[in-house]
Amino acid sequence: MLPTPVQGVVNTIVDWIPLGIVVLVWELVSGGIVATDVLPAPATVGAEIVGLFVSGEVFSHLFISLFRVGVGLGLSILVGVLLGVGMARSDPVENFFDIFLSMTYPIPKTALVPLAILWLGVGTKTAILIVFLACLLPIVLNANNAAENVDQNLVWAAQMMGTDERSILYKIVFPATIPEIMTGVRQAVPIAFIALVSAELIASNAGMGYLILTSGQIGNYPTMFANIVIISAVAFVAVRAFEEARGRLLVWT
Amino acid sequence: MDVTADASRGLDLSRLVEFGKSVYSLVILLVLWEVVGQLGLIHYYFLPPLSDILIRFAELTLSGEMLFNAYLTLQRALIGLAIASVLGVIVGVLSARNDIVDWFFDPIIKIGYPVPIISLIPVFMLWFGIGDISKIIMVAVGTFWPVAVNARESTRQVETNLIWSAQMMGTSDRRLLWRVVMPAALPGILTGFQIAMPLSLIITFVFEMVAGGGGLGALEIQGVRSFESAQVYAAIIAIMLIGIGLDRILRFVRGRLLHWT
Repeated sequence: MLPTPVQGVVNTIVDWIPLGIVVLVWELVSGGIVATDVLPAPATVGAEIVGLFVSGEVFSHLFISLFRVGVGLGLSILVGVLLGVGMARSDPVENFFDIFLSMTYPIPKTALVPLAILWLGVGTKTAILIVFLACLLPIVLNANNAAENVDQNLVWAAQMMGTDERSILYKIVFPATIPEIMTGVRQAVPIAFIALVSAELIASNAGMGYLILTSGQIGNYPTMFANIVIISAVAFVAVRAFEEARGRLLVWT
Repeated sequence: MDVTADASRGLDLSRLVEFGKSVYSLVILLVLWEVVGQLGLIHYYFLPPLSDILIRFAELTLSGEMLFNAYLTLQRALIGLAIASVLGVIVGVLSARNDIVDWFFDPIIKIGYPVPIISLIPVFMLWFGIGDISKIIMVAVGTFWPVAVNARESTRQVETNLIWSAQMMGTSDRRLLWRVVMPAALPGILTGFQIAMPLSLIITFVFEMVAGGGGLGALEIQGVRSFESAQVYAAIIAIMLIGIGLDRILRFVRGRLLHWT
């Protein structure tokens, strides 16, 4: 029997062997069965990633993309929570907004990119709008659901002790809805990246999506693959970081 | 005196009021839209009057252009989704039932699922061109992940008591899979389809916008390029109708298949 830490390392290695196999097949196929142009070898792509970071070329585009995704997601959290909680706590608000939500729900938000181009032109504003719209619904739905199911005993207990409506909202309803709002945001993060890349492919002069499309168009395939790996890694890290943060924040659940 | 008639009339009235409350905001918005457009308060290019958009929608529909583009889009999205559904369910169920399959696919799913699949569109243009085949394969690859993950999770959660009871009664492995495991996992598998369906449309629209080749996405972007904003809005109406239609169909199928839950 191996000591536990060693056993852990062995398990991790065994767990990730399949990925090694995939990379190995990729390496063998590239330049063999398939031309290196069409499928650059993993080593080439890896070197290209390092090159992009060392030369600093990728940073300006990466920061633009992160700015767009951050602002769009931030706005959707702000508006989504207000709307979701508002609709749960007030009938007039619900009557007003409910129909819009149920009408926009079945529209894939990326289909609105051309409309956003009409209004806002090509660039950052369009990307932010699409990320915002795409992330809004999961957050509204989760916040709304949570606010409607707040333990009524908590509200009654507070009212009995003479808490005013405003404090009930801030001290009881919002904190009670945080776990489900986090679930909504967790669903929204991957959607945000899909919306971002869609907007950048169709309507942008900068950002990772634009970089991927143009390097493909000029035939610079290693750069194209390298940027896809980078944006995927960023999306992956964003989801993981959010889950980690949620775990720390929601210690009481 | 007919009391029942009176009661039902009262009920109808309150229903009408409820209905009015739920749609009044939409009616106000649509009227405002038409008025603002007619008065030219917002430039025609940004917001044509609603009536112009509906007329354009009718024109495109009657000329067959809308239906043809909708057909192209739906064909690409649904064939891709069908391929992903078959492969995703097979991989998902197998990796829940078999350790070796799971050992192989688990890390691939972990890495593959979070990739913003849209970013691969330029790769698929390079590999398979910009035609239908390329779009269909892209949809299949993109929608495979949610189908496979949901099939795997729901198969894993099938109650072991059900499986043990069936085994004890001498059910063969094959029958066990089709008669016990699959029906028990069906709700989760259908949830996977419900997540994958809008994704299939997203991928198709964006691919059509980037690469052309007809379809509603291409119709929209063509409207932007030729400054025909009414066409953009008309295409979005068609997209909304398709979205609502497919959502309804999936819910109906779910209700039918899962009537026992």
